[in-house]
Amino acid sequence: MKKSIYVLAVIALTFTACKGGKKESSTMNHTKMETQHTEYVDHNDDHNHNDGHKHEHATNQEHKKTSDLTQNTTKNSATTPIIDAYLQIKNGLVATDKNATAKGAKALIAAFDAFDMKSLSGETHKKYMEIVENAKEQAEHIVKSPIAHQREHFEILTEDISDLITLLGTDKTLYIDFCPMANNNKGAYWISESKEIKNPYYGDKMLTCGSVKKQIN
Amino acid sequence: MFTKKNFKIVFYLLILLLVLIQFFPSIINESGKKETTDFFEVYPAPKQIISKIKESCYDCHSNHTRYPWYNKIQPVAWFLENHINEAKEELNFSEFANYSKRKKKSKLKSISNEIKDDKMPLWTYTLMHKDAKFSKEEKVEIVKWIDGLIE
Repeated sequence: MKKSIYVLAVIALTFTACKGGKKESSTMNHTKMETQHTEYVDHNDDHNHNDGHKHEHATNQEHKKTSDLTQNTTKNSATTPIIDAYLQIKNGLVATDKNATAKGAKALIAAFDAFDMKSLSGETHKKYMEIVENAKEQAEHIVKSPIAHQREHFEILTEDISDLITLLGTDKTLYIDFCPMANNNKGAYWISESKEIKNPYYGDKMLTCGSVKKQIN
Repeated sequence: MFTKKNFKIVFYLLILLLVLIQFFPSIINESGKKETTDFFEVYPAPKQIISKIKESCYDCHSNHTRYPWYNKIQPVAWFLENHINEAKEELNFSEFANYSKRKKKSKLKSISNEIKDDKMPLWTYTLMHKDAKFSKEEKVEIVKWIDGLIE
């Protein structure tokens, strides 16, 4: 059990490095990747031990989430206003523009309020409500906070929005990006509408840190 | 308009008002019981972490406030009541178990961020409660412990 966790961690690690820039397509086969990297595991076992807990933790998380995201590409245009508002927040942070970011967060709250939930049934509805409750809270904080704090809430918000996409789908072409340095080296994701890396967690300071982990549609 | 006489009347009215509002106490934030939904029921912690978090956070972020003497005076008590209600809305350690899995995780992240960034405990609070302040070592220890709970 423990060993398999290390294996997963190391596999994920190889896709994490900042300058790796490797792009997975959603059709890529996980089993294939695992066999490809078995050799790597032995080499890196010691290194992984020394590197400690933190890395292993972040990369495990990454692995789990990326595979989640391969599963859903349901074409759904109803989520577009929500995703567009999220992207507005993201672009505000890329530009390190507190006011533009806050404006995006207001748009996000409005998009959630305007979303028609009648089509959602049972379990989907329940999951949606949990996502919205949490995402709205993050958005409210983004509206009233300084930029550093906006970025912290954006990191939490990203998970909600990516879960929302998994749950309901989208017809937009999107990229799931990851920067291993963000969030105090725990790593952080963001969703982008363009293939080019523009990191919202640092703005100008480290605009190109990160790589595309997944493409949706 | 503002003659000496008028000024005097306003002054006495204000005093009267100040006396009158003392008869309207605020609601005391003390549930009087140990909640089974408390944060530390969900996440068992080392003793020193429990006592530090309770000392530093629970006055505003739980159903158990240890009130200072000046809470006996209005409008201070109203101000504190309002403040505590807002704080509990944001995060209530006494009811943490009731949060959804998603909310728990995002609250843990926010707790960690707030402490790391020295946003919490509020400086206005530590001004009056010196023991609530985190030392550098305590900060590192608590943030590490909380980060370990995430996922």
